[in-house]
Amino acid sequence: MRLVHYSQDAGLDGMWHAAFVRSPVPHGRVCSVDVSALPPDCVALLPQDTAALGRYGCQLKDQRVLADPARFVGDIVAAVAAPTRSRARAAAQAVGVDFDELPAVFDPLAAVAEGAPLLHPESGASAQDKVSIGVRPLPGTNVCHRFRLFNGDVESGFAASAVVVEETFRTASAQHAPMEPHATVARWTEDGRLEVTTGTQTPFNLRDDLAGALGLEPERVRVIAPPMGGSFGAKTFTRLEAIVACLARKAGRPVQAVLDRGEEFVTLNRHPAVVRVRIGAEPDGTLVAKQLDCWADTGAYADCGPGVATKMGYAGVGPYRIPHVRVDALAVYTNLPPNGAFRGYGATQSVWASERAMDLLAERLDMSPLELRRRNLLRDGDRFATGEVMRDVHFEECLQSAADAVDYEDDPRGKGLCVLLKGMQTPSRAAISVERTPVGYVIRSASCEMGQGIRDSLRLQGAALLGCEPGQIEVPDPDTDSSPFDTRTTSSRSTYMMGRALADAVRDLEAGGGERGYGEIANEGGLDPDTGQGIASTHWHQGAAAAQVRVDEDTGRVTVERLHAAVYAGRVVDRAGAELQNEGSMIMGLGTALLESIEHADGQITNANLSDYSVPALGDVPAEMTHELIERDGAEVHGLGETALPPVPAAIGNALASLGVGLAELPMTAERVLEALEARDRQAAGAAV
Amino acid sequence: MKVELVLNERPAALECEADEMVLEVLRREGLTSVRATCGIGICGACTVLLDGEPVSGCLLLATQAAGRELTTVEGLPAEHPVPRAFEAEHAFQCGWCTPGMVLTAKRLIEETPQPTDEQIAEGLGGNLCRCGCYVKIRAAVKRAAAA
Repeated sequence: MRLVHYSQDAGLDGMWHAAFVRSPVPHGRVCSVDVSALPPDCVALLPQDTAALGRYGCQLKDQRVLADPARFVGDIVAAVAAPTRSRARAAAQAVGVDFDELPAVFDPLAAVAEGAPLLHPESGASAQDKVSIGVRPLPGTNVCHRFRLFNGDVESGFAASAVVVEETFRTASAQHAPMEPHATVARWTEDGRLEVTTGTQTPFNLRDDLAGALGLEPERVRVIAPPMGGSFGAKTFTRLEAIVACLARKAGRPVQAVLDRGEEFVTLNRHPAVVRVRIGAEPDGTLVAKQLDCWADTGAYADCGPGVATKMGYAGVGPYRIPHVRVDALAVYTNLPPNGAFRGYGATQSVWASERAMDLLAERLDMSPLELRRRNLLRDGDRFATGEVMRDVHFEECLQSAADAVDYEDDPRGKGLCVLLKGMQTPSRAAISVERTPVGYVIRSASCEMGQGIRDSLRLQGAALLGCEPGQIEVPDPDTDSSPFDTRTTSSRSTYMMGRALADAVRDLEAGGGERGYGEIANEGGLDPDTGQGIASTHWHQGAAAAQVRVDEDTGRVTVERLHAAVYAGRVVDRAGAELQNEGSMIMGLGTALLESIEHADGQITNANLSDYSVPALGDVPAEMTHELIERDGAEVHGLGETALPPVPAAIGNALASLGVGLAELPMTAERVLEALEARDRQAAGAAV
Repeated sequence: MKVELVLNERPAALECEADEMVLEVLRREGLTSVRATCGIGICGACTVLLDGEPVSGCLLLATQAAGRELTTVEGLPAEHPVPRAFEAEHAFQCGWCTPGMVLTAKRLIEETPQPTDEQIAEGLGGNLCRCGCYVKIRAAVKRAAAA
């Protein structure tokens, strides 16, 4: 069978292996590093080697190559390289580090309270990424970004509402758990260039970060991105690459780092969040006002937490016409491992809150949750809370598809619905080239393969445009030396953006004699972080889900009997690939709903392995799991990589709520279900008295 | 030390340390289908067949394979029905878990020629796919069983 060649399979002659010296304390200055016990034949990278290097970070430059102070248990304070991996690990164990411990904070609400220990007393400089968001740190606090959205007058909206519902919801931190751990190889060429082969979704962001940290021109850094064994956001921006590059320079030879599973849990996780929803409506269910307050725990470094908080904020408004809206979303530092991009990117957290709140409102109004949603859904030509006019809108079809799949209108008991809108990276830029070869074509693009099938998608789109067979098109690994610029492989944008750039490149090829064509597409827009007004997304990812559940009232065990997701595809490019993305998103959503939670005690993660941290297995797949890709003639391609994840938890949560099991916190473990059942029964007993 | 065994139907003598797992030794031999993933025998991505039975390469000392027969997917013939069924059903995305899935499914079908959904879920319960291709993996096992 055909085997994929991943970055961990990239061995180089004379290559050594890296191991990391990690902080055992959640917050502490490095007092001294003792290397007297280091075995011979190894190289150590120490604080003095990196002290003069620049800061990096994709949205705020708040990271250094080696940490001092260490800001979470697992922060890397030194590193070693040795001829074998086991010798490198032994050498890392032999490095003694003394810390001067500082107070630490592990909860985003505690971190914004008066007197909380500060992780970054001086805010990092904005990364000033041309295509990034405006970052709004609150100086002198742990808030690294505040996103606000104002539309109408929310206070008068609540005053005019007949019914107002308020609830606070929580979501757990989660691990991407890509099967392939992070793996990076770095080498320095004879003329002083840095070459990094690494599993990454963001080769150009990484190149710029490395150049900035190491004081090189970006062109002196080459990033090659082989296919990844899964990523889901884990392999974004700069992870191990800066340290491995410094080790390789000091060792004078190539160095490879491959993480073990436990280290994955201290490398990048999903933002746990607290989301407070207040929503008001008229007696007939017409929505009047909504207020959303979000606290996204970004861990020890901002990473893309500002972007996540922003998306969490506006996705939580939901696909509804609401005249009065106010959103206040904070990305907050805590002494936990950094949280970053994760399939669903902020929407998972706020859709859970927002769509559970819709069912609470429906109950208060004594109205069908389906009817309440239908009455308020955005339609073509409506203005969203950001001020942008909605086009190509299909929320109602998505919702109906979900409702029909579980026969919701026949009997809603044990069933739940959820509908969502999710933005795509805006603004962004994608470029691509096409070259003719004797046997076909080469398409060069920095869109990275992580299993989502971008190579097949480009081959299929290229074959249709060029009039050849997909097999005649070669798509090499992204390489910043030879692939044209692309913002990054995130937010389900690649098939849409690269597909349009490819059409442009094929036109250029045909116009210019047929040897080489270049195409480039930019989507313009962006939101003002202080008002939430502007263009959040050039088009919208639209979806809905429905679940039917059974609860074992003795054990609290939840069985999802039916699960359906409907996603607006516009036009499907690769049928099997699109189905896999939908099914995979749903199954990951199932894990978020029922299983996955990173636990910690005093900042130490206590379930950093795949035994104590459960991800869905084949036996967890619902007996009836279906989905629909909604298409329209002549429609634009819409990304599908993650739309079916965020609606799954709320669909299941609302199904449980229909049985009187009201939950506000993810995951919906058996313990929490039992507590909710007891609360229901107490309430019923109280009512009977 | 050296361990003599039959590797993918050929006699082999593998150099290894006394405390090394078969996973590391096979990767050093260039058999990169065997993939370090969870390190504790939970995920099935380093599955190899030991005398035809699926075992986790991360938990099997190389010395325990002495005198026995080890099979990785590199040792399956190109036309083997199980990998062909995985291709035909598009039962993978990133491909990382596929070798372990294929070897486990091969043994499942040998033992249970017409597995039900429950038997497939049970038989492949020790093989995780984070991309979530389970619906198509189940279809691939059924297709291979029918071949």
